[in-house]
Amino acid sequence: MLPVLAAPAWMLAVVFVPLAAALLCFLLPRRAVILGLVAAVLTAAVTFALTLEVAAAGTAHTLLGGWAAPLGILWRADGLSAALLAMTALVGVTVSLYAAAYFRDDAHARVFFWPLWLLLWTALNALYLSADLFNLYVTLELLGFAAVSLTALGGGAAALTGAIRYLLVSVLGSLSYLLGVALLYHSCGSVDIGLVAACIPDAPRPASQVAAAAMMAGLILKTALFPFHFWLPPAHGSAPAPVSAVLSALVVKASFYLLLRLWLDVLGGGGRWAAELLGLLGVAAVLWGSVLALRQERLKLLIAYSTVAQIGYLFLALPLAVAGGAAAWTGALYLALAHGLAKAAMFLSAGNLLRFGGHDRIAELDSAVHRLPLTLTAFALAGVSIMGLPPSGGFIGKWLLLKAAFAQGRFGLVVVILLGGVLAAAYVFKVVGHAFTPAARERRLRTVPPGMEWSALLLAAAAIVLGLTLPLISPLLQVGAAPAAMATAFAAWSAA
Amino acid sequence: MSAQRATPRHGGGGVQAPAGAARPVPADTALPRAARVLLALVLLAVFGGLALAVLALAQPAPGLAAAVAGRIDDSGVSHPVTAVLLNFRGYDTLLELVVLVLALVGTWSVGRARGCAGNAPGPLLRQLPRLLAPLMVLVAGYLLWAGAHAPGGAFQAGSLLGGVGILLCLSGQPLPGWAQALVLRLAVVLGVAVFAALGAAAALLPGGAPLDWPPAQAKTLILTIELAAMLSIGVVLAALFAGGRP
Repeated sequence: MLPVLAAPAWMLAVVFVPLAAALLCFLLPRRAVILGLVAAVLTAAVTFALTLEVAAAGTAHTLLGGWAAPLGILWRADGLSAALLAMTALVGVTVSLYAAAYFRDDAHARVFFWPLWLLLWTALNALYLSADLFNLYVTLELLGFAAVSLTALGGGAAALTGAIRYLLVSVLGSLSYLLGVALLYHSCGSVDIGLVAACIPDAPRPASQVAAAAMMAGLILKTALFPFHFWLPPAHGSAPAPVSAVLSALVVKASFYLLLRLWLDVLGGGGRWAAELLGLLGVAAVLWGSVLALRQERLKLLIAYSTVAQIGYLFLALPLAVAGGAAAWTGALYLALAHGLAKAAMFLSAGNLLRFGGHDRIAELDSAVHRLPLTLTAFALAGVSIMGLPPSGGFIGKWLLLKAAFAQGRFGLVVVILLGGVLAAAYVFKVVGHAFTPAARERRLRTVPPGMEWSALLLAAAAIVLGLTLPLISPLLQVGAAPAAMATAFAAWSAA
Repeated sequence: MSAQRATPRHGGGGVQAPAGAARPVPADTALPRAARVLLALVLLAVFGGLALAVLALAQPAPGLAAAVAGRIDDSGVSHPVTAVLLNFRGYDTLLELVVLVLALVGTWSVGRARGCAGNAPGPLLRQLPRLLAPLMVLVAGYLLWAGAHAPGGAFQAGSLLGGVGILLCLSGQPLPGWAQALVLRLAVVLGVAVFAALGAAAALLPGGAPLDWPPAQAKTLILTIELAAMLSIGVVLAALFAGGRP
């Protein structure tokens, strides 16, 4: 890393490198692949540099335009932002490598994938850095439009229908969030997160509560929490494999991050009844998503419903966290990071199987394990993290949640957390089992480029290794965390 | 408006018919009557709650108008809206320009435009653009310049340019050959590229920050950005009207 550059320079690069590359890919479609790959590596490098800088030197700030809040917009990178930025970079660079091989034979998708994907990456990075409620709305819109366009990239009726439904949901969610921002600005006279947070306790009551509810509702819709998950399986299931990976691993995490950011930094980490309600929806999501995943006959839909279930876990942590179990925050964040890596690996594996056999019907996977051993290894390793078996990242997250649930005597939540793991094991083994079974008839098979197999395996391995890096990542998550909610989290897990 | 529909790339025979077409809505997507009534009631309750919250808002509201007025002399322009859009919160505007480019890339990725050459204009549409187009370009230039001290600026001027493009398209004028491919794409990204490049360069100045215009050069920089942004906005809006990639 270059020590001469300070954090503000890395922040600038984290947003502007993918943006500039997206424009170049659009200008020079024939060079899009090579430009995109170089940009992906560069973006990941500057993101890791920023993460190290935040871990070493603490929260970083940039005043955009040189204007302080409330007049200007602030970039702020604390531990939470840095962790999600780093996860985005790791998934992003791997998916880019995968996509270069995946779209090799499809000139149309190849030309349009790169600018859209790099703009999506720009939007994610800008969202994680922004400390301004209105600017966050702009990044949400950017993110939504890029995600919808990528969903439609597969062509065909299913992809277009899924994309249009996704577009409507995404816009509705953004507008609901924007309504909340407008009400907050009217109450507080600022859209800077720090200033609004300071004003919230004294803000006029019904307006600020309605604002919080509108913003939360919009973000829940975008995060696809049960019962607002209806749009997710068709969109994630019909997109091209690298796009599905990005949508499931990164895009839903962005709105969850924003929800968490509002909850912790703007609304003060309280709200017992709201947390109980969201926790209840989380419980329903874990059970409903897992059962539906188990009933799917197509692999990509199974993985998409698994996302619905795993999002449930993130919300299930809310009542535990609000009741004082600070470790539950770390647990939820850990699950978000681990799910990002593991789910991307699963969708990439599914893309390999789809390419290999020309279909993704689970019952006809036809001894895929002998022909694509790396892909099946990746799928199984990712499954280990999704189930929450040690030593994966998913295990650490669930273990922290279980510990908090036991400490608070919430045995109902304990049962749901464990049951979700058992159901996850059932649907992962359903796939793996069919992959070991020879099908009745031979079919024409295509070869899968080794790059596609290795990138899936890399992400799955990262999801496992994440479980071993808790001593590194937990302190990072505490950097600049809101004192009320998270300060004791590190002590809580290390005392275990 | 002529109905320009982008055709889906892979046949797309199964796309649902537009509203009002003869085909009935498939049974599985239609909600039962009770659910629809319930949904309407829920939405009505949400609307009522929002209306109550808005009516309960404090008047006058706290705002940033005074803060903007206090620093406007350092912004390079004298109109508060332009000062906010291009200086105080220029980063928002940059990302909004990116949204426009993204909308166009997304539209182009879905399908091809039918092209403007196929439009058969009536006598009015054949003559009108000859009169209106030069005038609209002139007004766009004026709005851009006036934005520094009066209502106006890149978005208004760009919309007018977009209108010129739509008028020319409706009257059956195809894009000239030189304006295809690279030139068209350059015009689309010009606004974002100039804005982002100047914004990044501002961070390299000693003591500078991204998009931090030095007060002495602020007016020139803002006008340069607005000029580029106006061209891009106009081209993107016209291209969005065409409905697909050329």
